[in-house]
Amino acid sequence: MSRESAAIEKHKEASRKGSPSLPDYRGYFGEFGGRFVSETLMPALLELEEAFRLAWKDSSFRKEFYGMLAEYSGRPTPLYLAESLSREMGGAKIWLKREDLNHTGAHKITNAVGQALLARRMGKRRLIAETGAGQHGVATATVAAKLGFSCQIYMGSEDVRRQALNVFRMKLLGATVSPVDLGGRTLKDAISEALRDWSRTVGETHYLLGTAFGPHPFPLMVRTFQSVIGQEARRQFLRRVGALPEALVACVGGGSNAIGLFHPFVKDAGVRMYGVEAGGISISPGLHAARFAGGSVGVLQGTRTYVLQNPDGQIENTHSVSAGLDYSAVGPELAYYRNAGRIVFDSVGDEEALEAFRTLSRTEGIIPALESSHAVAYALRLARTLPRDSNILVNLSGRGDKDVMEVSRILEEKGERL
Amino acid sequence: MSAIVPNRSSMDKKPFRRGVSPPALIPYLVAGDPDLETTRRYLRLAASAGVFAVELGVPFSDPTADGPVIQEAARRSLRHETALSELLDWLGTIPPEELPPLYLMTYFNLFHHMGVESFCKKARATGRVAGVVIPDLSFEDSRDYRPLFRSFGINLVGFVSPTTPVDRARRIVREARGFVYYVGLMGTTGASLSITPAVRDMVGQLKQWTALPVCLGFGVNEPRMAREILGFADGVIVGSRLVREEEDPGLWEKTFLEFVAECRKAEPER
Ligand SMILES: Cc1ncc(COP(=O)(O)O)c(C=O)c1O
Repeated sequence: MSRESAAIEKHKEASRKGSPSLPDYRGYFGEFGGRFVSETLMPALLELEEAFRLAWKDSSFRKEFYGMLAEYSGRPTPLYLAESLSREMGGAKIWLKREDLNHTGAHKITNAVGQALLARRMGKRRLIAETGAGQHGVATATVAAKLGFSCQIYMGSEDVRRQALNVFRMKLLGATVSPVDLGGRTLKDAISEALRDWSRTVGETHYLLGTAFGPHPFPLMVRTFQSVIGQEARRQFLRRVGALPEALVACVGGGSNAIGLFHPFVKDAGVRMYGVEAGGISISPGLHAARFAGGSVGVLQGTRTYVLQNPDGQIENTHSVSAGLDYSAVGPELAYYRNAGRIVFDSVGDEEALEAFRTLSRTEGIIPALESSHAVAYALRLARTLPRDSNILVNLSGRGDKDVMEVSRILEEKGERL
Repeated sequence: MSAIVPNRSSMDKKPFRRGVSPPALIPYLVAGDPDLETTRRYLRLAASAGVFAVELGVPFSDPTADGPVIQEAARRSLRHETALSELLDWLGTIPPEELPPLYLMTYFNLFHHMGVESFCKKARATGRVAGVVIPDLSFEDSRDYRPLFRSFGINLVGFVSPTTPVDRARRIVREARGFVYYVGLMGTTGASLSITPAVRDMVGQLKQWTALPVCLGFGVNEPRMAREILGFADGVIVGSRLVREEEDPGLWEKTFLEFVAECRKAEPER
């Protein structure tokens, strides 16, 4: 074995020995994770890690967090049995965890609330964030407005175009939106700009990263906040059905709605978990965002994980109809559970997602976000293969208002009419 | 000739002696911008001017620590697919006397993708790579890779920034090889440095903790400023100011020689 792989093996071994809670003290989930950032940011990450550790141990902080989720965001979100949809598919029962009913319309607000409360505790005055679909940008702008931070959002210019409604919302909420005209002009490029901003302003600014990605402690922190999804769902399911679901399904951009739902079920061996990536047009370079299908292990934007890259190690651009899934790398904890065989990953392409977008709207009167439509589409596939008395729980991570104009444009382009 | 690695080979180091070696300039070049022929020409000029070293940037698609000027240069170079492995092959074809001591600068993914060990083997085989500068390999994560770089005689440069607490800086400096890179300002490359008492103090501190050259970089955009820096630092790194002219060899050479001339005039402050 080469010395390099020996170093990697050491990380894997440490996790196998069952360090009771992942990540380890250096932010590794097995061989994935770490803190691959410039020295300018390192002290800020160490400070953030410590502040988060202390805050989360402090019951008054947790009370503030859960209190704000209840009163401001409307938690708990309902668990909903999609009866007509299930009937139409003629297979397993499909349940929806209604994260779309959160204030601002997606699960993203939960993480924004958690990190903003932490940033306030740390004495920061300014929040910055990246956004793809605009949901995280809106969530950050919202908590900034409520808690009195100044706020700047970085967004790829392609996403500014296709998520125009959310751009207007952010401005209305008092945030500055900076379009990023680099690379593929999507989420990856927005994260790079946010990191550059942070390295200039790190003293007064908190970088409110929107997904379970990036350098430690972000993957841990975002997962901790978003785990409220899975904790509620597990309780709700046991109460309503008296058993756990056979399968969980979530779409995967960076991975926050997925790990948030999955994490509280990890030890429930009977519950299968499916992460759904964006298959885009087809699984070939530049036309999709299915990191586990087309990627390999690399280091991007602070973390070691699966990355879409070319034979030289340059990062590939991605494509998906859904801005929130259109990203070249994936959260390190999901990479860990994937290689451990605990979470299965598959992809759903643009067409199938658009189909599911319409199906859920038509059968249940719920217009899902295009991101969440990928999870719905996969659940429909899965339902057909499972007995009628089994249960599938889908994380309906967001609502589709933001996507209505873009879908209408796409349908028109295809010459389709509703 | 003064050089951070006084001999051309990274394998054959004489100790650097503060105050004895003449003041030092480290220009930063983006390899392959606008093309490798031009890069070679710049390297030859840098070698004959007797610079300390050259930081040779290998373009990466997502340079999170770089500002617009270096991002743009990397994009130009990537148009013809400049790649790390081929760059090493190319360096191997250049006569050693045409090369200054070379530090390859790029983001960790390129080393990781090639395999750090394969990189080290190949870099060592060329005999033309003194070390590496990897802005996104944190001190913490570098622990896994430091022994590897060392065993191949490739210097892994240590970064200290204005946000680095004192005890941390001490630990970084202890593990650094080649030189210590003090980033004088918070932010990305291409901003504008101001030489504050805090910057001078930090450089002074670092010099007490290490026998390695302590070099200051980021935002040095005036030859006069480079000269002033060499009054208290062992070396000065000039990035965006030169990269900006890379497409125009005449302009690049003129600017480079202005920096060289000013740096030659520098005298250590009492
Ligand atoms: C509604 C919705 N779902 C899912 C995602 C994907 O992000 P993540 O994988 O972090 O849940 C986004 C991201 O913008 C989103 O807006």
